[in-house]
Amino acid sequence: MARRVGEGVLAFLTLLILAIVPLQAAELPSLTGRVVDNAGIIDAATEATLTATLAAFEQKSSDQIVVATIHTLGGEPLEDFANRLFRFWQLGQADEDNGILLLVVHGDRKMRIEVGYGLEGTLTDLHSKLIIENTMVPAFRAGDFSGGISRAVDDIILVLEGNAAELEARAERNEDAGGISGDTWLVIIFFIVWGTLFFGGFAMAILPRMFGRKLGPRRYRWMGMDFEYNSSSGGSGGWSSGSSSGSSWSSGSSSSGFSGGGGSSGGGGASGSW
Amino acid sequence: MSAASLRCRPLRLAPASLFLLALLPLLSACGYNTIPTAEEKAKAAWSEVLNQYQRRADLIPNLVETVKAYAAHERETLEAVVEARAQATQVTVSADSLTDPEAFQKFQESQSELTGALSRLLAVVESYPDLKASQNFLALQAQLEGTENRIAVARRDYIEAVREYNTTLRTFPSIIWTWIWFDNEPYQTFTVPDDKIEVPEVKFD
Repeated sequence: MARRVGEGVLAFLTLLILAIVPLQAAELPSLTGRVVDNAGIIDAATEATLTATLAAFEQKSSDQIVVATIHTLGGEPLEDFANRLFRFWQLGQADEDNGILLLVVHGDRKMRIEVGYGLEGTLTDLHSKLIIENTMVPAFRAGDFSGGISRAVDDIILVLEGNAAELEARAERNEDAGGISGDTWLVIIFFIVWGTLFFGGFAMAILPRMFGRKLGPRRYRWMGMDFEYNSSSGGSGGWSSGSSSGSSWSSGSSSSGFSGGGGSSGGGGASGSW
Repeated sequence: MSAASLRCRPLRLAPASLFLLALLPLLSACGYNTIPTAEEKAKAAWSEVLNQYQRRADLIPNLVETVKAYAAHERETLEAVVEARAQATQVTVSADSLTDPEAFQKFQESQSELTGALSRLLAVVESYPDLKASQNFLALQAQLEGTENRIAVARRDYIEAVREYNTTLRTFPSIIWTWIWFDNEPYQTFTVPDDKIEVPEVKFD
């Protein structure tokens, strides 16, 4: 009886989880680059040019502009989705919130320019609206998505550059945008050293015995190093690294991936449809 | 005998109280900070809500003037907007009275009244092509749409912040602090899921 109840509860919980998960994780696309063309409406050449333009602009101003295209919203309001996506990608630098998301929903024939808190004063709602209505809509109606999007990006950059003094000040404040700042490096190095000291002993004591090749009594060879354990104390004895090649471990992949700087948006910008 | 033991007491208590004093900073690890942190966050989210509603109220006089220039005889709709705005700007809820359900209800009602009046105004505008095409109106419309969207975002953030705050007041480690130290009450939050202007849809088929 109790068992049946248990099974019932388990089944109920499983159902509950199944019911909740799709609601929670309403497929937000991942930030694969400055141009996330999931709808496949931007041709390769334009995409490359756009990526280069946007990267150069971030270098200059620290403003992060990202172009995203998706097939459909699946019934979700455009503004809600754009804001959710913006915050999920965290566009713009953390203290500046200077990100811009240009979102095109191909299937629903809608587009939106979502502006981070920090740029609301420069790229106003009216600017966004005008860019959408005057640049994007005519091009999209003619079926020229690549052209419409790249001209819209040019317009956005033009507006942002219009406030030149503010642009330079912002760039100066975030000079090392994109890279890892000195503080972060210190923390990383500290944890590497600390982790090596802390876990290294354990690892050296246990892992060779598990994965290494046995050479003789209490002697193991693992990852090109010879380990010798003296059992006198019964604990983990010292180990001596053998002759052959030192352990080789690469220091993390230096991914050239692009990621948001930690910015947020409060729903600024404008929407349109074609 | 009894006098002697009395004289001893302070001496005996000294190490104990010192020990307790030394422990005091550790309290932060017991969730002492959780409640004030969540409370401040909710208050900040609330001021953002007020800020955005104020922004909307500030746009309205300009909007009314612009519409008046093209559609002066829509007096009723225009007056309704002006009146609703006056009402809405009078009812404010400060961050300190967020626990008051009545005040909050009133605020919500007055704002949604204004939302309704604005919706009706924008619906009326549909029959004035000259007005719709005017640059001034386009600019105002873009700003109004943006503000409505900011209100929606601010409301969502506030609802989320209050949910977190109210949860800390009712869940385990922090609830102890509610009993022995704070006498905080849960904040009110929006009951109507969305308070958005219904923009009339125009379709060209």
